[in-house]
Amino acid sequence: MTTEPPPDAHAAFSAVALTAIDDVYRFARSLTRDEVDAEDVVQETYLRAFRSWHTFETGTDVRRWLFTIARNVFLRSREKGKREVTLDDDGAEIVDAALAREAWSRGGLDTILERADLGPAISTALAELPEPYRAVVVLVDLEDQSYESTAEVLEVPIGTVRSRLFRGRKLLQEKLMQHAIDSGLIPQPTAPVRSTE
Amino acid sequence: MNHGHGSDDRTGAAAMDCAGAMDRLFDFLDGELGPETEVRIRQHLEKCGHCFDEAGFERRFLAAVQAARAAEVCPATLRARVRDALRHAGWTEAAGS
Repeated sequence: MTTEPPPDAHAAFSAVALTAIDDVYRFARSLTRDEVDAEDVVQETYLRAFRSWHTFETGTDVRRWLFTIARNVFLRSREKGKREVTLDDDGAEIVDAALAREAWSRGGLDTILERADLGPAISTALAELPEPYRAVVVLVDLEDQSYESTAEVLEVPIGTVRSRLFRGRKLLQEKLMQHAIDSGLIPQPTAPVRSTE
Repeated sequence: MNHGHGSDDRTGAAAMDCAGAMDRLFDFLDGELGPETEVRIRQHLEKCGHCFDEAGFERRFLAAVQAARAAEVCPATLRARVRDALRHAGWTEAAGS
């Protein structure tokens, strides 16, 4: 399919779709966990979006539309999802361990949450989140997508979005705590911090 | 955001306990609850110092994650690469776009 939008649609594509490239890039990074693969996904996403621009409904959320295309591109690049990682069971064990340490770790984490220099640590911790949690956390917490929109993009029930989001956020807190300790933002707590991976 | 989790609102007007409030805390902070349940959680948080503190922590955590969004932007090289690919596919870049 090589349908090309009419010329007057090019400006709309530029103004509406291309301005969301940062969001598409972040989502692609969350899917691929690889810079080169993410760039390929972003490029292919925009090519498909351009050719399918006539199917975009003006007034709807263009990011939701682009995220859906990006995920399809990613799955296609992974042989239609055969290599999609599903770590629900293993992930649950990781989260259980994180929750067990939550009570003492929260106190330390709470003291640094409003620091202006926390951004890189959060980005690193996000990048280390395992799937299927990372995509949900990125879509809801970074891209401000609703549970419903996230469920649609990822093709899972809303209940799955809710449970993955809870687990993903707890894992993220655990990883953020560890990064904060490693980088000296907060002191090593008295209780041992074990790796979650 | 409110996506109509109507079943949450069919539990009557009984006071919400700590377990119920914490079970729905992220839904509450994400604006994903129906109005009645949202009010019940809000009322619980006003009365319960422990849950109020929990909600404050999670709210600050989510704000910190959201703030980190700005740290990761599309590289300029990729923007140029995408534009080149689009031009090759027939896209016409308007002046100033």
